[in-house]
Order: sequence, then C-alpha cells, then structure tokens
Amino acid sequence: MTAVLEVRGAEKSFPGVKALDGVDFVLRAGEIHALLGENGAGKSTLIKILTGIHEPDRGEVRVFGQAVHFANARAAIEAGISAVHQERNLIPRMSVAENIMLENLPQRLGFVDYAEVNRQALLWLERLGLEVAPERAVRTLSVAQMQLVEIAKALVLEAKILLMDEPTASITPHETDVLFGLLRQLRDQGAAIVFVSHKLEEVFALCDTVTVLRDGRNACHAVPLAEIDRAAVVKFMIGREERVAKLGTKPFDATATALRLEDVATSFGHAGVSLELRRGEILGLYGLVGAGRSELAKALLGVGHVTGGRVEVAGKEASIPDVTTALHRYRIGYISEDRKAEGLILIHDVASNIGVTIWRRLAGMLGWLAEGRVRRAVAPLVDKLQVRTPSLRQRVGNLSGGNQQKVSVAKWLAAEVDILIVDEPTVGIDIKTKTDLHELIWQLAKDGKAILLISSDMPEMVALADRILVMGGFRVLGEVLNDHDYGRMSRAIMAHIHEAEAA
Amino acid sequence: MGLALLIVVLVAIFATVNPGFASPFNLFSLTRVMGIDMVIGFSMMVVLVTGGLNLAVGSIGVAAVMVGGWAMQVQGVPVLPAMAMAVAFGAFLGWINGQLTVRIGVHSFIVTLATMSIFFGAMIVLTKAESFNALPGAFVDLGRLRYWGFVSGMLPAALIVGVGLWLFFNRTSLGREILAAGANLEAARLSGIRVERTIVVAHAMSGGLAALAGLMLAARNGAALPSMAGHIGMSWLLPAFLAPVLGGTLLTGGVISVVGTALGAAMVTIITNGLLQLQVGEFWVQMFLGLILLAAVLLDRLRGVMAERRRQVR
Repeated sequence: MTAVLEVRGAEKSFPGVKALDGVDFVLRAGEIHALLGENGAGKSTLIKILTGIHEPDRGEVRVFGQAVHFANARAAIEAGISAVHQERNLIPRMSVAENIMLENLPQRLGFVDYAEVNRQALLWLERLGLEVAPERAVRTLSVAQMQLVEIAKALVLEAKILLMDEPTASITPHETDVLFGLLRQLRDQGAAIVFVSHKLEEVFALCDTVTVLRDGRNACHAVPLAEIDRAAVVKFMIGREERVAKLGTKPFDATATALRLEDVATSFGHAGVSLELRRGEILGLYGLVGAGRSELAKALLGVGHVTGGRVEVAGKEASIPDVTTALHRYRIGYISEDRKAEGLILIHDVASNIGVTIWRRLAGMLGWLAEGRVRRAVAPLVDKLQVRTPSLRQRVGNLSGGNQQKVSVAKWLAAEVDILIVDEPTVGIDIKTKTDLHELIWQLAKDGKAILLISSDMPEMVALADRILVMGGFRVLGEVLNDHDYGRMSRAIMAHIHEAEAA
Repeated sequence: MGLALLIVVLVAIFATVNPGFASPFNLFSLTRVMGIDMVIGFSMMVVLVTGGLNLAVGSIGVAAVMVGGWAMQVQGVPVLPAMAMAVAFGAFLGWINGQLTVRIGVHSFIVTLATMSIFFGAMIVLTKAESFNALPGAFVDLGRLRYWGFVSGMLPAALIVGVGLWLFFNRTSLGREILAAGANLEAARLSGIRVERTIVVAHAMSGGLAALAGLMLAARNGAALPSMAGHIGMSWLLPAFLAPVLGGTLLTGGVISVVGTALGAAMVTIITNGLLQLQVGEFWVQMFLGLILLAAVLLDRLRGVMAERRRQVR
C-alpha cells in the first residue's frame, strides 16, 4: 500500500537536548499505526512536527508523496492532517456543535447556519455514541465527554491522515470500545491513523503496525504488530539493560523514619495512601501519567491538602498548611517536574533562583540581605553541581535545560532540607547531565537525606530507588523491593499495573 | 541609560529654544513637580512588580491628604505626626486593595478600579468636598524648601525615598520575595514564599507612597484640596504609569528599575514643563504624553519578544 505520510531523518534540537536524532516514520493508507515511547523519547516532538507546531532542523516530511514545510498548524490541516492533541483545545462557552464544526462553519447569506451546524455535528456525535445535545455548552460536559467532542472535532474534517495523541486518557472502557470501532471503520475506508497511547493493551487491540522511539531515535520502525509480542514492544520502549547505571551500595538506617503516611486521603482524590520513607533511602514512586504522583507530592507540601489519615514527619504528626511551613518547619523540599512554570524564575539570575529558599534564613535585622552572604551561600553549590554559567548574575532563562535543572536542584540543597521530593528530575535533559543528576541524588541519600523519587523513566527508577511504590488511579498499587536487575524489576512493576487494570 | 541621555538632550533643547527654561524660578518649580511625579511613579512601580497595578493611587493620595489636613487643621496634631498618620492611612487603604485582590482572586485592575471610586466618593462625602486651606506654616514651608537657589526640597525627598526602595527591593528578603512572586507566582509559592503576603505588602506600600505624594502636592499647593488629583484621582494615572514603564519596569511583573522610574518621571516632567513653556497648549501635552506611553509599552513588548527570540535561537 502507498505511504501517505513519510518522515525521513528528522532532527530537532532544543536548548540542551536533541529531541529527535534522525527519526524515520512511514504511515500507509488503511492502517492504524501505533507510535510508542517513554516520556522524553521524542513522540510529542514528532507529532508537533507533523501538525506544523515545530519545524524540523533537518530531514524531510512528505505528505501524499509531496515534500511539505508546514509554517503553522493551519498549513498541516490544509495538507489533510487532522489531530487530537493531549491538551484540550475546546472553547468552553461555545456549544458542542460549534466546537465540532469550528474549522468549517456552514454559512448561509454570510450568517452561520445553526440548523446545519447542529445537524452535521449530530451525525458525528451519533457515530461516537455520545448522547449530548449539540446545543449544549462544552463547559457543562464531563471530562470524558469533552474528550469525545475533541475527537469528533478531528473526525469532522474527514482528513485522510488522523493523529491521535492519547485519545483514551480520560474516557471509559465502553467509550473506548465505541471509539475503536469507529477508528477501524475509518481505516477500512482508507484513512491512515497514528495512535499514541501508554496503554499497551489498546495498542495490541487496535493497531496494525508499531514504531517505537527511544532517546530521539527509532527503536523500531513500522513493524507489523502481528509479528511481535508485548514483551518485545516493552523491550523496544525501555531498551538496553546497560542503561541502569551502577551506583554502588548505600546502606541506610532502617529505623530512622523521615516521613510516614498512613491511610492518607487528599483534596486531589488520593485514598488510602500509606508509605514510609527513611533517612538515607530513595523511595521511588512509579506510575503512568495521571497516576497521581505529583499531586501526592503537592498535597504533602500544602499546595493541596490532606483530608484524611495521618502524616508523620520525623516521628511526629505533622499538619502542613502551606509550602512555607513545609520548608521551614518540616524541612521538606520539592523539585518540580515543570521547571519552567513551577521550578525556576527564568527572568531572574542564578543567585536569586538558588537563594530564594534561604533569604529568610540569611537575612539580618529588618530583613537585611547582605549580598556577600548570599553569594557565599550560593557559589559553592554552583561549583558542586558544576552549573555552567558565566556568572551568578546570569539569567537562568539563558542557561541550557540541563543547567537549569541543576539550578532547581541547587536551591533545595541550599535550603538544607531533610526530605527531598524529586519529580521527574531528568525529563528532556541530555545524557551527560542526566548521569550527573543521578549521581547527585544518590549521594544526597547517602549523606542522610530522605528522597522521594517520582519518575516515569523506568531505567532511572531501577538505577536509583531502594524500593519502588507503584501508583495508579491516585492509589498505591503495590511495592517492589529493587534489586537493580532491570528485567526483573520492570516485569514486577508492570505486573502491579496490569493487576490493577484487570481488576 | 539611554533615558539619562535623552533627558540631557531634552534639557539642552529646551534651554536653547527657551532661555526662560533654565531660569532659577523655572528650575525650582520644575524640580518640585519632578519630585512629586517620582513618588507617584514609585507608588505604581511597587505594584507593577507583582504583575498587578493600582488605579487608585490618586484616590488614595487625596483621601490620605484629607485625613492629614483634618488632623493638622481641625485637631491641631503637630505636622510630623499628622503626616505619619496620612501615610499610615494611605498604606491602610492600599492594604485593603491587597487583601481584596488576594481574597477575591481577581486582577488588581478590577479591584482598584472599584476602590478608586469608593475611596474618592467616601472622601467627598466625609469632607463635603471642602478643602483644608489653613494648614500650619511648618507644613506649607516644606513646599518652599529650596537648595542652591533653584532645587526644590521635593526632589531630594523623592530621591531619598528612591534609595530606600532600591535597598528594599535589592537588599532585603521581603523585597526579593515580592520580586520573585511577581516574576513567577507558582515557582515562588513552591519555594516556600508566602505569595499572598507579598501582594498585600506591595499594595500597602503603594498606598503609603501615594499618600506621601499627596502630602508633597498639598505642601506645594499650601492646602489639602479634594480636587488636587483631578476627578477620582485620575490625573495621576498618566505620570504613574509613564514613569515606571519608561524606566523599564516590566508590566508583567518581577523586574524593577527604581533608577529608571526616577528618570522616567524626570523625563515626563521636563517634557511637560518644556512644552508648556513654549506655549504649547495643555491638551497637546496630554496627547503627546499619551503617545509616549504607547511607545513605551510597545518597547516593553518588543523587549519581551526579543528576549524570547534570543532564547529560541540558543
């Protein structure tokens, strides 16, 4: 069959990281093609290139045999590529029908023909099995219904190429079945569909072909799913066992509990979460996107709040109303996964970004902050972490991603916290810095800090954690004692996740 | 520092075109207005850094001055305590703005638009729109302070306030925290800063500075007039925004330039004074200042875009 979409040798770099390093991708008419990979593997960059959001630095994209250069998202739609993105793109105050038909509103005499808008939208709502009136405002829908409206909006363009990025993330199994039925029908009519999902069951149930990306390269390219099994796909995704770095041994005192949760419920919707974290230990929290790991961290810090159960810090019951209390009274720090939005102040300099957690402590009378004191507190950390910056006065926004991440770690080292929650510390970071950060986290634990490591990067988890808690649906699904054997650990973790899916 | 250069050029032009510009008499009145405009600019600057704004600067300034005038004239409170009362009252009104902004969670634009009207209305009701024009001589004399024959005491006073603000934002933990929260609220919150408090403090400071500017204006006028900042205090808004924006304080928050605000205010005053001296009509001057504000905002946007470009190229 003919290739409707072809990517050859695509390369794309962002500051500090090469997101795509020579990726090939071929999509043929009449197939559903799974695009898989871990977080940071390059999937979303590839999708963004195909939808005109990014332009590749090198390599070519061909649509129906024609080389294309999309200047913007509009150009991709006009070339016949329609996409369902992970982020919501609906206009909440408009009706369901208006949202669905937005790209191409039927008109009569220069006015929008609402009867026709509603009639056409209804056809697609029926095909998706979504029973809502076309006139209803989108903001009154449930998350699952919005997701389906989003899908209808992509389908209505009747594009020959359809990209679906995690379309089932928030819909029920029944709705998923209906969607899959429809996708198969479209495929049989000759459409070509790219399907991105973290749920391997869905991939095997729906897709014909699979391409796996890893570290910005092809781990495999357009392999028929009939020819390989699940284990092989997982192996492509998480790959070589030698990536598990050897970090030596790190004994810790099993009796010195730093943080204990007992049957904790939170305002984010966690229920029955229990865990125990000891000084010198790295406790991993593994789970798929949406498992509730970062939210748990935030609830502990007082961004959300704990609504039930018991939280103990260093053996005493703790109530943490806000981050200030978490930091200054309980000595808990949080390295955010989103360093640009939550971790750093990009328009401020290195010294301010690291010093922010300790200004209060360094300040003298009337809050006076001597510049020398801040510099003496901050400079050793910049050296220790080998942050590559021309000076402490450099704006953090001008540093590379890896160096930015070092700065966001440094501020918590400055704060001298006892408990450090590290959320996806190495997403989008080059290999060298990644190794540096792994060694650093390990060393911190060895020095007696208690570390809660949140990561979707399985090799990272296996390399660093002493124990791994598997989370899903805002609960703890199970615990794995890490023996640093990659194969065994990944199977054990996956087993917990599947158990929960089956239940 | 382009701004300083621009000021030198402007002064040179005005002085050449109109010899009266450099006369001690004009320089005295120029520096007097300059000092007041600087403090008005500072009053807006301290909330701009939080990413908010304070439309009520004029209302607060007048309301606080009326309190000060009442204390001095009716209650016979000595000058310094009465001035302190006025500043404290201004800070209290600003504190209300801050609390409302934080509690309701809407942009300070709406909050201060409402309080601008409320504060001013309440002031008119309570004073019956009458002025206090028998203020003690010790207070009125402040407006006549003159150094080296041509510098009004208002200018050094404003500069001292500026130095204080510079030290506050650059050398104290609370000042740095206000900047951090203004630049990135979530990052600041997750770094353990009580971000709500930073917003309330900034608004209270703004109110206090507005009151100070009001006192300076009252000392110049020799009376506390309900009308001295125009209708509902709006005639302060143009200098209030112009000075910090010209000076490079970002409207999106997190970046401050105290020196820039002072220079911005100086430039506004010089342009106004210079043009008026040349018999240019007052409405032309207003129009011209409006154009400058627009140009400054465009420049502010351009700087943002350029910074973004540079980041992407790297």
